[in-house]
Amino acid sequence: MNAHALSLESLIKEEAKRYHAFINLAFILAILTSTEIVIIFLPFASWLIVTSLVVLSLVKFFCVILWFMHLIYDRILLFLLFMSGLLIAVGTVIALMFLFSPNDLDRSLFSFNTLSMFFNSFCFVA
Amino acid sequence: MNSDISSAATVDALHHEEHSSTGIENKKLMMWLFLASDCMFFGTLITTHLIYRKLYPSGAAEEGILNIKNTFNIELTSFSTFILLMSSFLMALAVSAMHKGQLQSFRKNVLGVIFFGLIFLGCQVYEFTEFSMGNPTAGIPPLTLSNSIFGSTFYLMTGTHGTHVAIGVLWLVAMFFYSFSGRMNIHSAIDVEVAGLYWHFVDIVWIVIFTAVYLIEYI
Repeated sequence: MNAHALSLESLIKEEAKRYHAFINLAFILAILTSTEIVIIFLPFASWLIVTSLVVLSLVKFFCVILWFMHLIYDRILLFLLFMSGLLIAVGTVIALMFLFSPNDLDRSLFSFNTLSMFFNSFCFVA
Repeated sequence: MNSDISSAATVDALHHEEHSSTGIENKKLMMWLFLASDCMFFGTLITTHLIYRKLYPSGAAEEGILNIKNTFNIELTSFSTFILLMSSFLMALAVSAMHKGQLQSFRKNVLGVIFFGLIFLGCQVYEFTEFSMGNPTAGIPPLTLSNSIFGSTFYLMTGTHGTHVAIGVLWLVAMFFYSFSGRMNIHSAIDVEVAGLYWHFVDIVWIVIFTAVYLIEYI
């Protein structure tokens, strides 16, 4: 019975810790999203804004998968499993970007410079 | 009726180890495998949209050049993004409550997730309706599935995401009603966790879509 009581106590403590982590994370996600929305209207260089957006999105992405999806508390196998799928997806994205790289296309089509910059930044980050 | 599950049952469940070669519950493992494959699915959808956006910057609209910035409603999209993020938070609390055996708390949080999910879907329906009608007086042409490349890739990608959200809502509604059947116990925590994983995945996909599809247009 004592062992049960001890286990229950440790379970409640662990869940309480997680509960506070979830609340903090919700605030962090809200702040990061607000920053993303504000940052696009600031008069900074496009490359800086694009890079900031990519970094902020990555931070939000990993915050959710690590804490909300419990990957930080779970076995490493699950993390590796998900990362393998994610890596294949990122690899596909990069391969497609290289296949449709600006050098292979008619320059007249590239009036939309920001997206080209985004592609380049993304490839650089990846 | 005592809705909370007894502490003894909670502790018993703690000691209930899944007998699998990986030491991970099969349901959970399968859901992570599915999510890994779904990453590839959404990865290709988002990339297709971005590549076509780059190849056809004008959008090839039938009625005038497409100015996406005027078509998009960033305030509404930001609101729905917040809603989805907060629904993810409530889902995490629902999973935590179920692990502690607090059925009442689980129900409240799941109800919140369902409500937020429905708000998100409502916003998406409103957004799609606005886009498809356009605003001729403001010089904003309609954006439909077939009148431009941008429309085709945009609706396919966001529509697929919306379908995922709708499936998630239906799943959680079923789980909510099941919790009143009296058959939901501490061993059901794994089922709630699996549903939670799906819901959080929908959230992370939106995090990427929000930045790569919406915000990038405003730079």
